[in-house]
Amino acid sequence: MSQTTVDATSGDWEGRYDHIDQVLNTAGPRTDPGFLAGDGVKDFLRNQAKILVIGAGGLGCEILANLALTGFKDIHVIDMDTIDISNLNRQFLFRPKDVGKPKATCAAEFIMNRVPGVKVTPYFGKIQDKDEEYYMQFNLVICGLDSVEARRWMSATLVNMVDPENPESLKPLIDGGTEGFKGQARVILPSITSCYECSLDMLNKPTAFPICTIANTPRLPEHCIEWASVLEWPKVQGDKKLDTDDPEHIGWLYQVASARAKEFKIEGVTWSLTQGVVKNIIPAIASTNAIIAGMSACCNEAFKIATSSAAYLNNYFMLIGTEGVYSYTFEHEKRDDCPVCGGESLDLTISKDLTVEQIIELLVERQDIQIKKPSLATPTSQIYLQAPPQLEQATRPNLSKKVSELVAEDGEVTVTSTSLPFSLSLRIHYN
Amino acid sequence: MTDVQDIEAVTTQVKIDGQPDQKTRKYDRQLRLWAASGQSALENARILAISATATSTSILKNLVLPGIGHFTILDPQQVTPQDAGNNFFLEGQNSIGKSRAKEATRLLAELNEDVNSAADERSLEEILESETGREWIKEFTLIIAHNLEKGLLDRLAKLLWEDAKSPTLVVVRSAGFLAEFYIQFHEHTIIDSHSDSTPSLRIDKPFPALLDYALSLDFDKMDPTDHGHVPYVYILVRALEEWKKTHDGKPPQAYSDKKAFKASILSKKFKQDEENFDEAEAQAYRTWSVTGVPSEIQALFKDPLSPSSAANAATPLTPDSPPFFHLLDALRRFTEKEPFVLPLTSTLPDMKANTESYIHLQKLYKKRSEEERDVIRELVKETGGEVDDATLDLFVRNAHAVKVMRGKRWGVLDESEEALGNAVDPSGKPLSIHLALSALSEITAKQISPLTVEAVTKEAQTILPKGKELPEDWDNIVGEMHVFSPTADLPNTAAFLGGMVAQEVIKMITRQYIPIDGYCTADLIETWTGILLA
Ligand SMILES: [Zn+2]
Repeated sequence: MSQTTVDATSGDWEGRYDHIDQVLNTAGPRTDPGFLAGDGVKDFLRNQAKILVIGAGGLGCEILANLALTGFKDIHVIDMDTIDISNLNRQFLFRPKDVGKPKATCAAEFIMNRVPGVKVTPYFGKIQDKDEEYYMQFNLVICGLDSVEARRWMSATLVNMVDPENPESLKPLIDGGTEGFKGQARVILPSITSCYECSLDMLNKPTAFPICTIANTPRLPEHCIEWASVLEWPKVQGDKKLDTDDPEHIGWLYQVASARAKEFKIEGVTWSLTQGVVKNIIPAIASTNAIIAGMSACCNEAFKIATSSAAYLNNYFMLIGTEGVYSYTFEHEKRDDCPVCGGESLDLTISKDLTVEQIIELLVERQDIQIKKPSLATPTSQIYLQAPPQLEQATRPNLSKKVSELVAEDGEVTVTSTSLPFSLSLRIHYN
Repeated sequence: MTDVQDIEAVTTQVKIDGQPDQKTRKYDRQLRLWAASGQSALENARILAISATATSTSILKNLVLPGIGHFTILDPQQVTPQDAGNNFFLEGQNSIGKSRAKEATRLLAELNEDVNSAADERSLEEILESETGREWIKEFTLIIAHNLEKGLLDRLAKLLWEDAKSPTLVVVRSAGFLAEFYIQFHEHTIIDSHSDSTPSLRIDKPFPALLDYALSLDFDKMDPTDHGHVPYVYILVRALEEWKKTHDGKPPQAYSDKKAFKASILSKKFKQDEENFDEAEAQAYRTWSVTGVPSEIQALFKDPLSPSSAANAATPLTPDSPPFFHLLDALRRFTEKEPFVLPLTSTLPDMKANTESYIHLQKLYKKRSEEERDVIRELVKETGGEVDDATLDLFVRNAHAVKVMRGKRWGVLDESEEALGNAVDPSGKPLSIHLALSALSEITAKQISPLTVEAVTKEAQTILPKGKELPEDWDNIVGEMHVFSPTADLPNTAAFLGGMVAQEVIKMITRQYIPIDGYCTADLIETWTGILLA
């Protein structure tokens, strides 16, 4: 066996980074002009760069492994989930014995064991637990999340952090996502390029079944499942919260939905469908995550941004792998009326007869806004507040009033929601 | 509506009945893509990876996780310090000097206890030398070769091409930020292509039970609630029948006719808010777009390489022909009879209707669809084919989107001046990547050094036909690879290729979804992928 000398502090050995150094030692024809080949860039990559990975799930595991091999030595990871058996078909840092443990901690331990000299600092909790000071310490944030809400929060938080006087306050955000054989990745330079909020209308609208169909004229197995979870659960179980990760709860829904389906002669209610409908499960496999993590989102872009070794993605990459391989890169435009990074308020033209309750419904349904339980106010008065209970009660009578009684033509309405770290400014017009 | 007692009876016996087993739960997120049939195909597959480079182990990882049956790594080398630095399936300095095949196999196998594995420390050269070695290689389902030396790759590709039953070969080449891969196969048939297109409901050619029922409904005398819940299929079948009576038996054709037809549908409403009539209006095109056999399926019937029982068939169908072709031939004969359509689908889209009328309609379709499936079954028997019921059902359900792909031998493109010449203009970038990787492997084989842009350009020029200039993208591509990273197996490129190649391998093995046709090339500097036809 050959003798290898390992540096005690860095954990490095001679030849460890030979593959990567081929790229870092000399400039290529498309290298960024700001690229300083050689030791400077290696030092930054290996000794100075501090990277935050959000999510230690399907994408997160891939991202962490790639970053570690690329030579990043100081990596932090946040994830609020624990490991489930259904993660094991793709989240390759976890084993059956890890089921039930926090993902962030397990992933960090695995990477540190496998790739010596890399420090991974886990945080088992929510991104919302951390403040701006925390996020300020990183050079780059990489997001591999499946929650739209968390991604909106992260993107908005990084946009809010930008201080034009301080270039260090601009933290590039790389965001990736996958669904079955499809995936996408993008680079967000907060306040400079389009942010997550700017592209909200590109998301698929979740399938919603009308309540009257569910209650009166079920036709599909999905209708029976919705009936069980939306109507029967609260009726029979009272205040007990439905936990879609609890097999007993899913089992109950499955039985109830099956009985309903039998009564209506509807075929096709299965355990798997029940779980899929109530948890809104998105199919996921290792290979798509690897593509997105390897190519864009995640690590190659991080590597390119951190080392300026090549031009990075501008700014949106999409991959469709169901029929051959098709990918597409385009520049997603910043929206002037983006509530997070646009600065202009959103024009909303409504009927003079629209009530406050109706405008709230309208906002909830808007694909480019996607807000839950919004509270409304004008610069001078409260229109309707969802919380605290006293204020909700005090403003509740306004729900049945017409908006036009409370807001003048061209008047401004500020919309807030606990699910969002920003407020949305509307300019109301009447037709 | 609901029998409360029934529900209570169910809820009191809360047990976790019907919960899937451990394995189904582990694979839940992928079973939603390729179902139990795809999973069982994966579990029966045996993969051989030639060399345990970072790219090879990345590919294998994405096959071991979803539960491939078996993998073998063939690699005579020992782990170098460079390997230990860029490969996640080696244990850093602890692996240096050990067998690369054994180390990688051990660390990949621990990802999934359901997967069998073997490390083989022989060299490919040694294996290709002997008859037993060549037979051994043919026992795999699929072989993956990453950055294999040109001479060996050509020998292997030729060996596997000689016999159509030999394993599929996946050739993967990469250098720095550039990569390509290619699948060598003779023929690939797909029943479940997961097509986005939906089969016809045959509203323009209603089957007798559907027509009879639609005509038996007395819309005018209906209870108003029922009237608002008649499925649009009945509304359209009936409206079309009435229309044809006054229009020479023809459906609406001119724009003005179509408009009038739609108006007549809406005029049947009792109340403005009857959404079923709105749906019927929106779906009215179904009455004038003629249900026939899609052109892609007709092309399959005419393909001279597909075994067929037609009198003048270039390749005759025999009882030994694959079941797929017995089914395809039965389908052809089915479509040659009235009403010249594909078998009926049993899957109805959701539509505005009450439960009773929707379920009734569903039953009509299901019954008819089963009858037509039985016809196909009989037709298959006529040619001596043997097809199990599950395959028959699947085929009938996907008859509008079945596929036959025909591949080419690895290397054919580089040997064809015509094909290369034709690719220069329309496919400049993928061709540049392909030529750069081909030139690199030529130069490495010839042991020319140093690697300069000039040497690679000269080599690429010799691959192209005389007088053809290298594509415009050439300078960017070749500079990137050769000044920069001629032998770099970068972790991110490896991860990316690991995903891409595994995905295509899964499509090949499960015979679901549609794999690439040609060379898939990638430039990770520009976050770009493109296909170069072979
Ligand atoms: Zn924005």
